[in-house]
Amino acid sequence: MSRSSVPVGAPGAAPVDDPVVDVRGPRFAAWVTSAVLVLALLLGSGWVVGAQAVVFAVGAFAGIRRAPYALLFRVLVAPRLGPVREREPEAPLRFAQLVGLLFAVTGAAGYLLGAPVLGAVATGFALVAALLNAATGFCLGCELHLLLRRVLPARTA
Amino acid sequence: MDSTGLLVLLVALPVTAAVAWWLRVRSGALRPAGGEGRDAVTGTPAEELVALTGLGVRPEEADLTVVQFSTAFCAPCRATRARLQQLQRARPGLAYVHVDAESHLDEVRALDVRRTPTLFYLDRAGRLLGRSSGAPRPEELTALVEAHTGVRE
Repeated sequence: MSRSSVPVGAPGAAPVDDPVVDVRGPRFAAWVTSAVLVLALLLGSGWVVGAQAVVFAVGAFAGIRRAPYALLFRVLVAPRLGPVREREPEAPLRFAQLVGLLFAVTGAAGYLLGAPVLGAVATGFALVAALLNAATGFCLGCELHLLLRRVLPARTA
Repeated sequence: MDSTGLLVLLVALPVTAAVAWWLRVRSGALRPAGGEGRDAVTGTPAEELVALTGLGVRPEEADLTVVQFSTAFCAPCRATRARLQQLQRARPGLAYVHVDAESHLDEVRALDVRRTPTLFYLDRAGRLLGRSSGAPRPEELTALVEAHTGVRE
């Protein structure tokens, strides 16, 4: 079996329109994201947060497997690990990248437009979410989704 | 070195640790409901049971009925669903109802579902045995299923 994270009909495979990725890829990406956000906070740099926002945007809009950290995982990390044991659907991950993007854009805008406290706080929220995801696999953005739908006016499908 | 950023970092790290600890203790853990259900005297179903039966849940048709609320953006929901469908194949007394939380927001509010997956466990008498939020703990789930579906080794 290939060691890349390209889905090749995993057991209980999701439908074609619902691709899956090796679960270790997003966890690795969450660690890199955490490191980048810590660096951004220590430097107080809106450009570093902005770079992370671009990474989130690629993951959210072009797909998780096209995101820079996923490429890093495939090229540098995956070849050193064993074969893929577990895969997960891409849709929740993409949604989480979108939530991360909102915080990162707010953080970058805050820093770059002269509101450094807003920049730092928004970056801090993104860091908590990324670190939680890296350490426990918990997806804060995914959890917020239902809570938002609960409080928003009813538009029941 | 940015002092505001350092301060945020010093807050963010313990917050992350506290949430991780909370998840470890609470996520997926079975919370017993204390025998709520139909009132013994009046036969009136409890509020939860009204919401659940409104979703088509028929606890009297199985030894144990598990109702799972899921959302699309929820990886543990899919794993939990697969686990329950697998359990169901081996336990004819187990009924499994899957509910899309986003298209049943009234019930989500009535049952106070805050996370997905949230699971409700009902016995044949319609009593709510308990609920759990987050991917259920495998050993707890298996023990509950075995205790109520009369599995014999």
